[in-house]
Amino acid sequence: MPITYYKLPNGLRVILSPDSTAPTVVTAVYYRIGFRVEPRDRTGFAHLFEHMMFQGSRNLGKMEFIRLVQENGGVLNGSTRFDFTNYFELLPSNKLETALWAEADRMKGLAITEENLKNQQDVVINEVQVSVLNQPYGGFPWLWMPQHANSNWYNSHNFYGELKDIEAATLDEVQAFFKTYYAPNNAALAIVGDFEPEEAQAMIAKYFTGIAPAELPPPPDLAEPRQEEEKTATRQDPLANRPALAFSYHMPPRNSPEYFAMGLLDQMLVQGDDSLLYRELVKKHGFSGEVSGAINELGNMFDYDGPMLWTASLFHDSTVQPEQILSAVDTVVESLQSQPVEQSLVDRSITKMRSNLYDTLTQFGGFGRANLMACYALFDDDPSRIDSLEAEFRKVTPQLVERTAREYLRKNNRTVLRIVPGAAELAADPAVATEESN
Amino acid sequence: MNPTEVSASKEIPPQGPPPKPFHLPATTDFSLPNGMRVTIVPYGTVPKVAVRACVGAGAIHESAAQVWLSRLTAALMKEGTRTRPAEQVAREAAEMGGQLEIDAGTDFTSVGGVALSDFGPKFVALLADVLTAPSLPPAELPRLKADLLRELSIEKSQPEAQAHECFVETLFPDHPYGRAFPSESALNSYTIEDARTFYRSNFDAARTHLYIAGKLEGDLRRAVEDAFGGWAKGAPAPDLPACPVKARSFHLIDRPGAAQSNLLIGLPVAEPSSPDFIKLDVMNSLLGGSFASRITSNIREEKGYTYSPISQIATHRQLAYWLQSADVATDVTGPSLHEIFYEIDRLRHEPPSAEELEGIRNFLAGLFILRNTISPDAIIGQLHFVDSQGLDRSYLSTYTRKVMEVQPADVQRMAETYLDPSQMTIVVVGDQAQIADQIAPYEAVTQ
Repeated sequence: MPITYYKLPNGLRVILSPDSTAPTVVTAVYYRIGFRVEPRDRTGFAHLFEHMMFQGSRNLGKMEFIRLVQENGGVLNGSTRFDFTNYFELLPSNKLETALWAEADRMKGLAITEENLKNQQDVVINEVQVSVLNQPYGGFPWLWMPQHANSNWYNSHNFYGELKDIEAATLDEVQAFFKTYYAPNNAALAIVGDFEPEEAQAMIAKYFTGIAPAELPPPPDLAEPRQEEEKTATRQDPLANRPALAFSYHMPPRNSPEYFAMGLLDQMLVQGDDSLLYRELVKKHGFSGEVSGAINELGNMFDYDGPMLWTASLFHDSTVQPEQILSAVDTVVESLQSQPVEQSLVDRSITKMRSNLYDTLTQFGGFGRANLMACYALFDDDPSRIDSLEAEFRKVTPQLVERTAREYLRKNNRTVLRIVPGAAELAADPAVATEESN
Repeated sequence: MNPTEVSASKEIPPQGPPPKPFHLPATTDFSLPNGMRVTIVPYGTVPKVAVRACVGAGAIHESAAQVWLSRLTAALMKEGTRTRPAEQVAREAAEMGGQLEIDAGTDFTSVGGVALSDFGPKFVALLADVLTAPSLPPAELPRLKADLLRELSIEKSQPEAQAHECFVETLFPDHPYGRAFPSESALNSYTIEDARTFYRSNFDAARTHLYIAGKLEGDLRRAVEDAFGGWAKGAPAPDLPACPVKARSFHLIDRPGAAQSNLLIGLPVAEPSSPDFIKLDVMNSLLGGSFASRITSNIREEKGYTYSPISQIATHRQLAYWLQSADVATDVTGPSLHEIFYEIDRLRHEPPSAEELEGIRNFLAGLFILRNTISPDAIIGQLHFVDSQGLDRSYLSTYTRKVMEVQPADVQRMAETYLDPSQMTIVVVGDQAQIADQIAPYEAVTQ
């Protein structure tokens, strides 16, 4: 599919990808500010801020943005991730201009009150309650694992937010955060669907050209040191009644040959009933009914830009010890490290990956394509990378898989997280963290 | 910036050109001599194809002593066929870029997956083997039962599931729809013969509708005829009508220390074949079924009591019920109930403005396009809804026109006729010690 990529004079990156399959259009604005980079005494701030972007701008008061999209026959959402915050609308294609006008309006500035902020602090606290604190296994493993596996604060803090931090946020802080990060030169606008690129370019020029760029702060150092010792963390979950186990390995650097090999290792190890860990842990040992796994549990292996984990997890019975499960995992991993895998296994992984890529790109009416193009524009200044992904996976050889398994599936590159069901007891072991301390 | 200062000079959002015409994806429909129905929908340019068999076999066909036997049977069906061991099924599917999923629901078991288009005909053949000739191996039974026992235990620890169990139990006493969970001992007692009998009695061609949607390659019709032509006809699914309870009741499930209360409020409404159903759909979207709806605006955006309240019209075969759910902060449990009933009462007593209704009608018209284009599986979902409810396919082609015809008085009448609070079931999962006083006014009306 064709991609048009250019920048406005104010630095806004624009990516256009027409596709007339359905009379719908996705408009997605990505800001290069994720939850890694938020004020240290304000955990959860990037996400709270995302909520404030729906509370009012110059021409759209509270609820008016949401109502505008809805009454034009569309749906909308926003999400805060490791390295970006996005806002998107999926609308009938004749409403592209409406969406562009509205997104430009809130890129120009927020018109919000103390009351709006208090309201969204309550909503976000309810969100954290319903997703994590009031839920068995609430942060397992997506929220908790990065806190144990990483050592750099940017990667290891509670990014959903301590409730006291969410409560403490002020309106001035919200406006300052906007001023710092929500500028056109820190953003990408992606449009996918049924539209004429020339018409879209004219509309984009009309609504976005006048928005002033900002001086961006230097990016912080997100690097994680090489892990040299296996880590184990245990969390007591008073709401859970079966144990659970997750294990993570730090990923190779993005876009390196080893990174693409890890993409295939993910397919080999946990994706599908034909995968090695499914066969070993589910079918052979009966430890669990399924093994889940992912590179980036809050997205996919393409939409982040910093240190990342490959994580697998399962629920099991109290009669099974985590050591038994890990020993079975080791058997599988060691088989990958001791010799090159068969070419047929690599081929099958590439087929699964290719099929998966189509799903990723077509997810939610073309939103998936907008997501990847916006990320590659922001992180690599090259959205056409999405067209070369398949070729990168095809370069992976059995030898590279073996080398990657040796370096990245090292036991001392691993963090193990155990969930122990039942009420928390005061533990002397510093490795024991309870939900309350989270 | 003070919002009141700028309001005088606000810009009007651009409206854009008139909408392009929307045409539903065309379908090819036929039946095999054994009675299996088939629908094929060419759609899109992405080289993937969704293949899904919807079999009229589910929880509804379980006796009171067989709860989750349909799930156990589905799990066993993944364990290989008479000619292919489970590992081979999984590997072959993966080589086609797909995976076969088998999900037992209340009315239907769905068997299918999404594969690369090149392999469409082969994927159909693999699916047919799994669906028509599973080996249901006894050796795997203990492991699969242990998995289901674990799932049972985990599901029952979730407050939403506890509320749901109580709600359906109240709405559907003495009917399979009302039995969300088995006892551990019942689950433990199921034998391989139980599962094989369940399979034999409920899986056949007459009960199956196969849907294929996406970018189509190869002769799929021929592949379907070859793969399913020899399957036994069997008999259509028996009619097991349910008569949901429409009476006020209040149920509290104590969850000491809970930071939130999980609320479920609902009652039976007109079934999908009723002329009122689309009007109910519009009423629901305006009341609580969308982001900008009244209940969500009230308890989320004005009051901050909750994160994701939503109302919906849930359906089974030829019946429907309205259901509002919200997970609210413990200290505002009573106020949340108050506001939800306030919004219900307001709509029952006063029609919405023409402007508010127009926004909702446009929303549903736009959503309809998304639901019929967003993915091959979404297209299948729409068709299966219509077919399984015994509706004519014209339900889809006339949907948008009917939505646009709904008037403010219709919306009020729907709320008045169907949302009578004195006939609603209310379930609260929360910390009794903290919410007892707040919920007292609602408990008191229990009959």
